[in-house]
Amino acid sequence: MLEPQQIENWIAAGLSCAHLVVEGDGHHFQALIVSTEFAGLSRVKRQQRVMQTVRDHLDSGALHALSLQTLTPEEWEAARG
Amino acid sequence: MDVQQQIHQTVTQSPVVLFMKGTPQFPQCGFSSRVVQILKACGVNEFASVNVLADEGIRQGIKDYANWPTIPQLYINGEFIGGADIAAEMYASGELQQLLEPIVKSV
Repeated sequence: MLEPQQIENWIAAGLSCAHLVVEGDGHHFQALIVSTEFAGLSRVKRQQRVMQTVRDHLDSGALHALSLQTLTPEEWEAARG
Repeated sequence: MDVQQQIHQTVTQSPVVLFMKGTPQFPQCGFSSRVVQILKACGVNEFASVNVLADEGIRQGIKDYANWPTIPQLYINGEFIGGADIAAEMYASGELQQLLEPIVKSV
């Protein structure tokens, strides 16, 4: 079964993250990703950037569902209050 | 007509188009179901939907069309909006309602 840690490794290998947490039950996963790379990018472009890092695993069927929350460090600070 | 042209025609023919697993009545994936619920909550009861499970060519082709590897995919006025996460975020912020308001009114 796919572990959240494995997905974190895939994402971290392809994107510099200030903060990265992946949770999931082995089938459906949720990721919170904080990266300076998201600054100035639309929601779609941010997700495309992240999905690029796991594309091979989505195509192979190893990874089925990954829900993403993509924030810049500033947005994350604001969201945490 | 190849698959990409077919998809382009589909997304530009109707104001709201959802590529999903299953149908609005019987969604076969939780994420697809969520977007259907969000559209309904925005007052959109009629929209074009494409069941990707019924057509393997479309299922693969739509991923390339938007450079987006997952289903569902929501299109409004021919533009790719996003998947379930983005639809939910835009609904929570009110942006989606704003975008859909002129379409809901014109029906």
